[in-house]
Amino acid sequence: MVKFYESNFSYDYSFPAVTLAYFLRYPNPYSTHVLSTDVISREVDANGRLRTLRIHRKSSRLPSAVLKLLPKSVLGNISGGKSESYILETSTIDVKEGWMHTESKNLDWTGILSVVERQEYRRHVPVDEGDDFSIGAGTTGVVTTVKFRSRLGERFRARTARKDEVEEEPKRSFLAAWSTGGIQRSIEAIASRKTESQLGKSKEGMKVVLERLRRGGLVAVLDGMREDRKLNFVHE
Amino acid sequence: MSASLAPECDEVKERYDSCFLKWYSEKYLRGKGTTDECAALFKDYKRCLTSALKEKGIDKMLEEAREDHKENDAANLRRR
Repeated sequence: MVKFYESNFSYDYSFPAVTLAYFLRYPNPYSTHVLSTDVISREVDANGRLRTLRIHRKSSRLPSAVLKLLPKSVLGNISGGKSESYILETSTIDVKEGWMHTESKNLDWTGILSVVERQEYRRHVPVDEGDDFSIGAGTTGVVTTVKFRSRLGERFRARTARKDEVEEEPKRSFLAAWSTGGIQRSIEAIASRKTESQLGKSKEGMKVVLERLRRGGLVAVLDGMREDRKLNFVHE
Repeated sequence: MSASLAPECDEVKERYDSCFLKWYSEKYLRGKGTTDECAALFKDYKRCLTSALKEKGIDKMLEEAREDHKENDAANLRRR
């Protein structure tokens, strides 16, 4: 059971500026839920592409509408009250060909809901932009796809089997199978709606960082971050 | 700069991040960055982060996720 979301957007900034903003997008005024960002690995591969693996910590949990749908037996297993979660982000940049591919996914509650967001950024002006990436020459297109998948039931059954708990396996009648599918579909639908508003916010966040970059280069971005970080501490 | 998930790593992270940003914007983006000049600083940061990830039990979550990645990569290669 899989649900997709897709959108297209174009930033009025050069490709190098957008990639820089991508690395520097947290914290920003729209990302008060992002608590930390760490680099796990980073390398320039044989093709000259920069590959980065990062982990973000967020102060969010499963949407309460999703929590309400979950049977108590599952809720007990996932510590639904946990107020932090982790996102794993991979990115590959080819600066010569002018593209960046990213993928972000949740590391927690993957048995209930897995959300995988992929983005393909592409330089729109193939001409030489010169050395000054901070000036917004050219535009950068981005295609975002988000895949939702609820495996509720599947993983849970596997886990109880592993634990060797002799829990009575309910007979999988047609109706029971249907209702699990129904819950999976509802979870995917709720997540999809939430994601649409979240994607709007992350776009706004990128724009704030890009505007700082255009106005005052890296210094302005770092100053802005410092201010945003102070605000985050107030929120905590 | 963004904070580290482990406050004790904030300082080494900041040093590495600054180095990376300089290298990325002044060299890599201009097609001159073939090697990572911040490797030594990354090593310090990585050492700090690795033990924090272990302490919080995140290392296991990461391993699982990376296994998934490998499976996907293998499936993609077969498809080509």
